[in-house]
Amino acid sequence: MYLKLDNIRKEFSGKVAVNNLSLEVPRGVIYGIIGPNGAGKTTTIRMIMNITVPDSGKILIDDQSVKDDFKNQVGYLPEERGLYKKMTLEDILIYIAALKNYPSNKAKKNIDYWLTRVELEKYKYKKVEELSKGMQQKLQFISTILHEPDLIILDELFSGLDPLNIELIKDIILELKRSGKTILFSTHVMEQAEKLCDYICMISRGEKVIDGRLSEVKAQFGKNSIQLEIDGDGQFVATIPGVKKMVEFNNYIELQLDDKSDTNAILKKIIEKVTVKRFDIVEPSLYDIFIDMAQVPVDKINKPEGSNHV
Amino acid sequence: MSKLLVVFKREYTQVVKRKAFIVGIFLTPALMAAFTIIPALLFQSKSNKSVSLAIIDQSGMEIGNKFEASLKKYKIENSDKPYYIVKNIFTLDTNETKRFQHINDSLSQLIVNKKLKYYLVIKPEAYFIDTNIYLVTNAENFVTLNRFEKNLSNILSTIRLEMSHVNLNVDSILTLTKKLDLKTKDAKGNMIPFTVKYFSAYVFVGIMFGIIFGYGQLVMRSVIEEKNSRVMEVLVSSVSPFQLMLGKITGLGAATLTQIFIWFVIGMGIYFMKSTFDFNPAVDRIIFNPVIIIFFILFLVSGYILYSTIFALIGSVVNSEKEAQNFIFPITILMILPFMIGAYIVQEPNSTISVTLSMIPFLTPTIMMMRVIFIAPTLTSYSLFSGIIGEAMIGFFLIVLSIVIMIWLTSKIFRVGILMYGKRPTLPEIIKWIKY
Repeated sequence: MYLKLDNIRKEFSGKVAVNNLSLEVPRGVIYGIIGPNGAGKTTTIRMIMNITVPDSGKILIDDQSVKDDFKNQVGYLPEERGLYKKMTLEDILIYIAALKNYPSNKAKKNIDYWLTRVELEKYKYKKVEELSKGMQQKLQFISTILHEPDLIILDELFSGLDPLNIELIKDIILELKRSGKTILFSTHVMEQAEKLCDYICMISRGEKVIDGRLSEVKAQFGKNSIQLEIDGDGQFVATIPGVKKMVEFNNYIELQLDDKSDTNAILKKIIEKVTVKRFDIVEPSLYDIFIDMAQVPVDKINKPEGSNHV
Repeated sequence: MSKLLVVFKREYTQVVKRKAFIVGIFLTPALMAAFTIIPALLFQSKSNKSVSLAIIDQSGMEIGNKFEASLKKYKIENSDKPYYIVKNIFTLDTNETKRFQHINDSLSQLIVNKKLKYYLVIKPEAYFIDTNIYLVTNAENFVTLNRFEKNLSNILSTIRLEMSHVNLNVDSILTLTKKLDLKTKDAKGNMIPFTVKYFSAYVFVGIMFGIIFGYGQLVMRSVIEEKNSRVMEVLVSSVSPFQLMLGKITGLGAATLTQIFIWFVIGMGIYFMKSTFDFNPAVDRIIFNPVIIIFFILFLVSGYILYSTIFALIGSVVNSEKEAQNFIFPITILMILPFMIGAYIVQEPNSTISVTLSMIPFLTPTIMMMRVIFIAPTLTSYSLFSGIIGEAMIGFFLIVLSIVIMIWLTSKIFRVGILMYGKRPTLPEIIKWIKY
């Protein structure tokens, strides 16, 4: 096991931020820590980075306690982003790499590659303050990976990025994973985790809800559900025998079924009354699992938008 | 390369590259000089316009006329024109009270309307009742007052001598009774006028204040900037807060040393070429006194580290410079105190109060420096363990001790404070951080 958190706990003036949290991150995977705002994700990450110290519990890298030079092998993108506004892109990238003991001649080579990759090469000698917000986000992302870290920790990675840049960054992350890097990221948007992660850990109110390989978590949760798009009033669907629960989203309905219900029979009942535009049998979404397991008020986490194909 | 060095290098270049830094190198001494020289110049300023006055003389002894004659020797600078112009002498009899009242009133009016600068009233029996002579004016001038006093004293003395029928030449008596103008010399027989020491003390302490306060605040601003821009979290994920703090303080400190080094080089240049300058030997003995130079550098460096640590502490607990103002206020008082009580310190540099105050670490860089400037040039022998040098060494040692304590305390608070955004922490909260 590459990174291991063993029973860590952190209190802030009497309030428990993280309680007896244990998790295991294998080498070379994408690992997502998922939970609503205030669940303790950032505190957990800060403890891994040794920015805050846990009150109790251990953090282990390759089964050994974290040493000082560990920080050099980590790329960390904090949730609260920001860089020196008055420095040029090149200077700040060299500086942040130097803080990781990364030689500046190697940093200079990587800078050209990564700036081109995120389409910022024209701004190499410009000051950070001249960039737009989205560009600054991309710059900060490459400052996190420039020094070729083994472990990349990204706190709320996608916040503040437009869809195009999200795709760009996702591609880079998958590429990094293929080259053997371990990526740990946190998000409160479940769908993103669902699309990217090999492993997940759901936390709520500072405690672990469920963790493990994404596919196993889903299998463990078991039950499939139906996603449905129809024309007309769908209220009657909830009353069809075999339907345990109906959740209405903006543009579709999700049905959770009894264990032994027949999906064909249910579909038949529905087409009798309305026109069906889409009928999908899907694995349970992380959102469903989270709601079910954590039993938190629904408004505390982001509902997924659109459909949830896996 | 050690991470401390990386931070050090960035902080250093960030400051040295600034235009303000280069301007400061030349502007600071110029400002300091201006601060001290301009008031001195104003004090001595000689007008090139003549001054008008009138005299009411009721003495019956022609004191007014004699006084007018005595003023003729004062000329406007670089010309032959008289400086004092006596517009009118009203010679009255002793009993002409009504007329006196009338003239007095109209002259007062002229003074109020600024048509006349002075008028001198000489009442009957002025030669033996001092209060019967007085000057009416709206604008007292130190130099003029001195001249009038001297000349009138001479005239009155002459009258008194003549009246007492002493059988001696009046002039020789005046020479015999001439007042002594007491000057001071030190133990080595050198003479450094009080004003020179006084102004030098203020220049040195002023530079000390400017650098410690200016660069100390730069440390604070730099921390606040990193908190505000949120770059702080990136930094502490790579370096320890302690390294970061130390890198900042030493980096900016090295920038101040660069500045001082440049001043030192300029100073040495002046020193070796000083024969070509017309140098006041008194100023020379202060500026080029090794004891003063060594302690100036020691106190400047240690004082800077002490104060900048406090400024780093402030920066770490506040969210904006505006919030920081409340914390800076007491520090400003500490730094300004020497200017307020400086007049006392320089007059009694060895009193118990002066010695005690100069041993308080936060005041040592300024108050001890003042004392060193006042006492060191008069030393006949140098001993590391006694006298002013010994006291200054103790002061320096106490500063170093306080620095150690402050850095320990600050590093505890700093590492928590820098990641606290939003609400300004209360004092009990800050104290709790020390225990984290």
